[in-house]
Amino acid sequence: MSMRPHTTRSMSMLALGALLGLVIAGYGLFTAKGTRSHGVPPEAIVLVNGRPILRSDFITQARTEFATPFAHCTTEQRRKVLEEMIAEELMVQRGLQIDLSSYDADVRAAMVAGVELEVTADVLAEQPSEPQLRDYYERHKSKYVTAGVMRLRDIVSRATGPVSVDQAMSTAREAVAALRTGEPLETVMQRHHLADSGRLMDAGRVDTGDVLEFAAREKLGGEMYGVASTLQAGQISDAIRQSDGVHIIFVIQHRFPVQQEYAAAADQVWTDYKNDALTRVRMANIRYLRSRSDIILSDDARSLEASPR
Amino acid sequence: MLAAGLGYCLHVRSLEAALVHNWPDELTRDPAIIHFAMSMARPLYAEHCSSCHGRDLRGNHNVGAPDLTDSVWLYGDGDIGDLEASIRYGIRSGHPKAHNVTDMPAEGRSHQLSAAEIHAVIEYVLALSREPHDAAAAERGHKLFYDKGNCYDCHANDAKGNTDYGAPSLLGADSLYGRDRRMLYESVYSGRHGMCPAWAGKLAPVQIRALAVFLYIESHADSSDAPRRLLPEKAP
Repeated sequence: MSMRPHTTRSMSMLALGALLGLVIAGYGLFTAKGTRSHGVPPEAIVLVNGRPILRSDFITQARTEFATPFAHCTTEQRRKVLEEMIAEELMVQRGLQIDLSSYDADVRAAMVAGVELEVTADVLAEQPSEPQLRDYYERHKSKYVTAGVMRLRDIVSRATGPVSVDQAMSTAREAVAALRTGEPLETVMQRHHLADSGRLMDAGRVDTGDVLEFAAREKLGGEMYGVASTLQAGQISDAIRQSDGVHIIFVIQHRFPVQQEYAAAADQVWTDYKNDALTRVRMANIRYLRSRSDIILSDDARSLEASPR
Repeated sequence: MLAAGLGYCLHVRSLEAALVHNWPDELTRDPAIIHFAMSMARPLYAEHCSSCHGRDLRGNHNVGAPDLTDSVWLYGDGDIGDLEASIRYGIRSGHPKAHNVTDMPAEGRSHQLSAAEIHAVIEYVLALSREPHDAAAAERGHKLFYDKGNCYDCHANDAKGNTDYGAPSLLGADSLYGRDRRMLYESVYSGRHGMCPAWAGKLAPVQIRALAVFLYIESHADSSDAPRRLLPEKAP
């Protein structure tokens, strides 16, 4: 019997509450201020959209900008710094809002560099001890050899047109025999119609100068280099069958790679040790980030990932 | 009882707020806040800083951790604001706001200086601080300091260092990594890249400010305007 008036009041209060909520939400929406905190934390000098600018950063900024102790900065100077810092914070927040990092190469590069610096700080600061460096040297000794240098000719008996591979092989063998008796290279080449293979070229000419071993490997290819690397100065290889004919390698000079002692390689060992440590940390970081990420690969990307490295 | 507890909590909160809110130069004029900061900072120092800088704040040559009592600073002037920034962001810590302008270059490893030239530079450094040295080698080192070694570029023409770069003065009787010739050689030959971690995010702003006040007080213990005199007494 007495329920009716109460129900009306409850409904009125509910409607009033809903209306009040709508007004607050509308105010927030149309003034674009969102939810805001009215209290500035004591360690902050200002809150910009809820993000504090620390007093400590403000002091450092003022000091740096005016090259004077903060206590000596004038009110005008402090005000200028404060306005600049608020402006900067607003711009940064705007950058986040428009997702600048998703398309601006400079922002992305800065973010990558920042994360990398954070990850590698410990490694950069580490000074490897002498036993650590020696241990590293022992484990990577093959890296510390002097560069071998060779001067050589690669001549070929071509199997083209009417000349069969067997005929080319026979010619090459005769040429090898002649060269091993000490006949001059040019004479033998002329008599047997041999030519430079064109693999050892420098600026369009046959390279008759010194060639570093790694370059020789690149130019000659694995099999031919394998033969050349074992020959001493003045030695001639056997005839080697290749897809473009039968080759002969004549080594004029050969300075073989020499194992460096630790003392001689110490600087490079130090550099390599640090670089390896940096690479390990970078890779571990990427592995960690991948492990906690949801990466969905497309079909072609999946086949790329699965392809041999 | 409850009221007393509540009152104490409010008092501590107000001191914390004053500690982080006041400008650094104002802090040193308030004994109550300094005392509060010191009592907060001591256990923090023992837990987070003493492993490198030593329980007595005298530093550690083995890791290049500087003496924090001598009012000689690598970065800034050693006022509370500078100290706070160094603690918050560190030195070469990887934090983007850390002090990270330059390193001590590896003059030997980069073949900028030969072993003999490094020895000469070391003799010059020892001569600067009036320690026993080889005068002839020091003369050669003096030339290298301004010439091939480019040492003056960071350590300044007068060898007094540059706190913008974190380049220490070479005139003092102490060095970050010690004064014996072997350590000095290692510093010049391999370079240095000393690091102090960033405590932002690991310690609260009030704790960082308290540590800055603590170091400021400890490093000004002998100066005539020592804020320490404002302290009622040193906590055990």
